[in-house]
Amino acid sequence: MRIDKTQRGWAIASLILMAAFTVVYVAYALRAPEGPRGGSALGLTFGVIGFGFMIFAALLGARKRVPTWRLGRAQGWMRGHLWLGLLSLPVILFHGGFHFGGALTSVLMWLLTITVVSGVFGAALQHFVPRVMTTDVKLETIYDEIGNVQRLLREEADRGVEAICGPLGIGKSTKEDVQRAGGFAATRAMAMAGGSGAAVAVAAETAVLTEEERAPLRKFYLSEMRPFLERPKENRGRLRDADKAHGAFAGLRTLMPASAEATLQDLEEICDEARQLLRQEQLHHLLHGWLLVHIPISLALILLGAVHAVMALRY
Amino acid sequence: MARTRTTKKLAQRIDLNYFKRPTGLKRAKFWFSVGLPAFVLVWIAWHGFAGDSRVYSSGRMSAAHAVLEAECAACHVRTAGAFSAKASDAACLACHDGPMHHATQTNTLGCASCHTEHRGRVNIVAAKNQSCAQCHGDLKASGGAGARYATHIESFEYGHPEFAVLRDEARNPGTIRVNHAIHMKAIRPGPNGPNVQLACGDCHQTGGAAASAEWKYGDAKYVAGGSSYSTPDEVVAVKSEGLTRPTPTSGRELMAPVKFATACAGCHSLSFDKRFDEGVPHDKPEVVHAFLEKKFGEYIAAHPAELREVRDPGRDLTGRPVQAAVRMYTAKEWVATRTADAEELLWRKTCKQCHALASGAGEGRLPVVEAARTTVTWMPHARFDHDAHRGFACEGCHEKALSSTERGDVLLPGIAVCKTCHAPGAGHAESRCFECHTYHDWSKRKDVAPTFVLPALRTGGR
Repeated sequence: MRIDKTQRGWAIASLILMAAFTVVYVAYALRAPEGPRGGSALGLTFGVIGFGFMIFAALLGARKRVPTWRLGRAQGWMRGHLWLGLLSLPVILFHGGFHFGGALTSVLMWLLTITVVSGVFGAALQHFVPRVMTTDVKLETIYDEIGNVQRLLREEADRGVEAICGPLGIGKSTKEDVQRAGGFAATRAMAMAGGSGAAVAVAAETAVLTEEERAPLRKFYLSEMRPFLERPKENRGRLRDADKAHGAFAGLRTLMPASAEATLQDLEEICDEARQLLRQEQLHHLLHGWLLVHIPISLALILLGAVHAVMALRY
Repeated sequence: MARTRTTKKLAQRIDLNYFKRPTGLKRAKFWFSVGLPAFVLVWIAWHGFAGDSRVYSSGRMSAAHAVLEAECAACHVRTAGAFSAKASDAACLACHDGPMHHATQTNTLGCASCHTEHRGRVNIVAAKNQSCAQCHGDLKASGGAGARYATHIESFEYGHPEFAVLRDEARNPGTIRVNHAIHMKAIRPGPNGPNVQLACGDCHQTGGAAASAEWKYGDAKYVAGGSSYSTPDEVVAVKSEGLTRPTPTSGRELMAPVKFATACAGCHSLSFDKRFDEGVPHDKPEVVHAFLEKKFGEYIAAHPAELREVRDPGRDLTGRPVQAAVRMYTAKEWVATRTADAEELLWRKTCKQCHALASGAGEGRLPVVEAARTTVTWMPHARFDHDAHRGFACEGCHEKALSSTERGDVLLPGIAVCKTCHAPGAGHAESRCFECHTYHDWSKRKDVAPTFVLPALRTGGR
């Protein structure tokens, strides 16, 4: 969710709340004989309010799990999560008089700080990562299917190369996989193999090259392109970089006959898509990776907060 | 022909059950979300099962109570069957009594209202100004003796009045006629001696330092000789209303009364007759009188020829010629005459230079020397430690000492001088109330029964 004009109401309300809390706290801190304490009436009030904000923020997770609940709009929950969650940190600092206290309270303060900071970091990421995604990843797919699509791209490339270079000695994929590989170069491979259901079939491009003609492509594919398609993350070759990849294919074209141009074009596109999927994966990890910190720590915070509330009443 | 991307083909390559297979990110999120809360629960439960309540502590104990950090139950006493185990005043009073401030105070404050624990290794005695201002901020409303004291004191900076002894043109009750201005200038102690410049410390030393000080202008004979009067008789009694300090003092806090033997005798000779080099004792007139009779008695016994007094011819004050004459004394007459002459000198000049003498009554009509009434404790409701300020020149604070000519002058520096250094904030000395004042009336302290036993306390037992 972006912090834009639509958040103005929440932002103003939060600022007013924050100002009110600050005024109350300063007056209280100046007058409290032994300084502000969590156990004083006002300290407890701040604690209850802060913990209430945290509970509300945590309920967003439950609200997401059950989207059919008619408890306000999801957008409203998200805004409340953002602003009240952010407010919870200063309110809890007021509660403890800016002291982190003992072991449990220190752990709680650090958990809260990390939760809020990671949340702010996540909210900040929402402002630029989606834009980068739109620019850099035009061939975006569903994140969960990236691995599958990468595999299909690899098989599509295998078939494309085998179509003009002959068998590469690489395991074949099933017909279903071939169909799911999409209506791209796969259609040519299927046509060459005489399969039915091909959307487009271009027989002229399926001529097998001579041993001498196919050698550069075969070497390039087996030594560079296929390792890249197999393990794009670990690969450090020139195909990971768009400009270097373009240069590599340009060089290859000078060594190959004109009849291989369409296949080379396909292979370059496959490389480009694989590279974009890799980029998408990276951006997705950046956009959602902070949740690995935010969610577990906030859950631990709520649990320990409840323990603290009970034990503080005791002592 | 180039590759073609169609929606249909794009959809074909998506496994429609993809959402049923969790990705690595989702799996990690799930396991972290289960693992971390489980871990913190195990952590807190482990402390609970181990009976270690320290984990719930709201902070480290003060330096004074640090040894009790593992002994939560020492203060957090839990009543049988009750959930609450809050620390109570009874737990504090079990180890140390805390007498009330004033018997007349109307509101009784709990220990924790001033001494807050679990704030780290702080000095728990160092109460905040707000603790005192609870009553002194509006003393009348708090039922305090508003007529005698300032009623609206928030702190040393806000509302604290000038020191009582400097208010209303108060005078020094001391009777010793000392002119500080003369003593602070270069003076010639004898007719042929060089000029000397006295320093404050030549006469004034703190109580603890006085015994071991090297007195430049003292006289060993007088120091060794002692006196029949005692110092307490000469010092103004302190009315501290029982708010005495809780700890033994070093004795170096206050200036000791200035003594003739150590500070004055070097310059102020108590000579009484040209026949003797020594002076009379610095003592009560009765002692001086007895000393004179003894000395003259011993002298005339050794010099009987002086019983025959020859008056040389000459002229009297009017210019008339006076014939030579001879007078014979008995020893008793001679001693009485010489003693009377010496006392005339002493009572009318030497002693009177510093002391106030009243006419005596009874046999011999010896004068009565007024008590010195030296004020040692100028601020009975506060404490000041000269020793803590020994790095500072006396005249920096006691500026008036350089120009004071009257014995009644109060040379105590005003509150503004203290505020030069004692103020809030970095770069300043402590200025909170406890720095000078004490709350508990330690004179009413009661003994308490021992609570802890070593080494059991340090090994987990009581």
